[in-house]
Amino acid sequence: MAGRVIVITSGKGGVGKTTTSANIGTALAKLGNKVVLIDTDIGLRNLDLLLGLENRIVYTIVDVVEERCKLKQALVKDKKNPNLSLLAAAQTRDKTSVTSEQLKDICDELKKKNDFILVDCPAGIEQGFQNAVAGANEAIVVTTPEMSAVRDADRIIGLLEAKEEIESYKLLLNRVRPKLIEQNDMMSVDDVVEILSCDLIGVIPEDTGIITSTNKGEPIVNDEKALAGQAYRNVAKRIMGEDIPLLDLNVKESFFDKLKNLFTKGKV
Amino acid sequence: MKDIFANLYNKVVSFFNKTDAEQSNAKDVACNRLKLVLMQDRTNLTPAIMDRMRKELIELLSKYLELDRELLDLNFEHEDNQMALMLSIPVIRAKNEDEIQEILDKEDEEKRKLEELSKSDSEEDDSEDDSEEKDDDDSKDEDDSEEDEEDDDSEEEDDSDYNDEDDSEEEDDDDESDDVESDDVEDIDENTKKEKFFSKKDKK
Repeated sequence: MAGRVIVITSGKGGVGKTTTSANIGTALAKLGNKVVLIDTDIGLRNLDLLLGLENRIVYTIVDVVEERCKLKQALVKDKKNPNLSLLAAAQTRDKTSVTSEQLKDICDELKKKNDFILVDCPAGIEQGFQNAVAGANEAIVVTTPEMSAVRDADRIIGLLEAKEEIESYKLLLNRVRPKLIEQNDMMSVDDVVEILSCDLIGVIPEDTGIITSTNKGEPIVNDEKALAGQAYRNVAKRIMGEDIPLLDLNVKESFFDKLKNLFTKGKV
Repeated sequence: MKDIFANLYNKVVSFFNKTDAEQSNAKDVACNRLKLVLMQDRTNLTPAIMDRMRKELIELLSKYLELDRELLDLNFEHEDNQMALMLSIPVIRAKNEDEIQEILDKEDEEKRKLEELSKSDSEEDDSEDDSEEKDDDDSKDEDDSEEDEEDDDSEEEDDSDYNDEDDSEEEDDDDESDDVESDDVEDIDENTKKEKFFSKKDKK
């Protein structure tokens, strides 16, 4: 079995790389795939928190590289889903503790026994990014419809283009706010796609549920009702090759809302 | 009475138009700013150079087509490892053969004159000019914009670039110090200026 190694990256921090990694990983596992999540943000690890696994971590990726344990020992199984496991980053070290070659070796090793290896990339375009990308064949570029995030995504796309190992990359537009877009206060999905000229793998609406799910250490894909959870489940299916249309994010306005908007906007 | 209604109508229309424009602002502004900044990021070209490239492109294409200069859109796009320059300009109409020929002839003539000029320049003894130049420069350099206006005026009055010796002589010197050496790619204004310059030298 040769699994797929997908790096989840963005350039800019805070756009939702780690949230995306946790959710897509969980969704893929729920669909019956064997999935390993690798946190490469050494020194600033967070993926364990989002999965609620922070108390179970014994060994980290640095321990594996420095041969204090076997790779298998460092993989932490998810509470709910035995198909999903996490290789955590070390919190007390820095990005130089692991080299690109070492990360590539780990990915190659994990590929043999898993369907998907998702690499959660640190922000920035320095060594941490180079390491995370080293073992991957595919990439998901996470961005939001904000200028700075789109600009950084463009930079990342330029760097990914230059990497021969990366066979394909897709765009994931996070924290989309349909209402603002409707009022022309925010760039639309089409605007961002046109500017970056990159294929889309999914659109995730802004959802306050993300905050509560992070607080509980439970990815939002486990919440069947949440719109963001639905969007992430769709992304997972698209990664597996299914053809699923984008979610309709437009919130249905009640008659009263329409009436209110009519007066506040002064629009005909 | 009619006026009052027209006034009122205009006010109402402008009110709604204004709110429309305001609403589309944030998004459009963001898009346009982003496109510009990405163009610079992708190419390492500074805004000044981009602007110059834009002007030169317009100038070149204007020889053959009548263009809507305001709506020119210049963009760089990634396409599989390659960068593509996307240029989109609304064409008002294509110029006909005669018009194009006229412009091309004019250009050839200019080139020829420029060559002659460079020859004569090297031969010329400019000690005489220097003294004049200094005086003129002092007064001229202070307000370039005014000078441009003057140019236009003189053209209108004379209907031809070959008259008005004194005026053009002043410009000569100014042009020499300012424009010929520097790398200006200015508007048509500049071209007419140069024409004057050349014609003057011929006379000499």
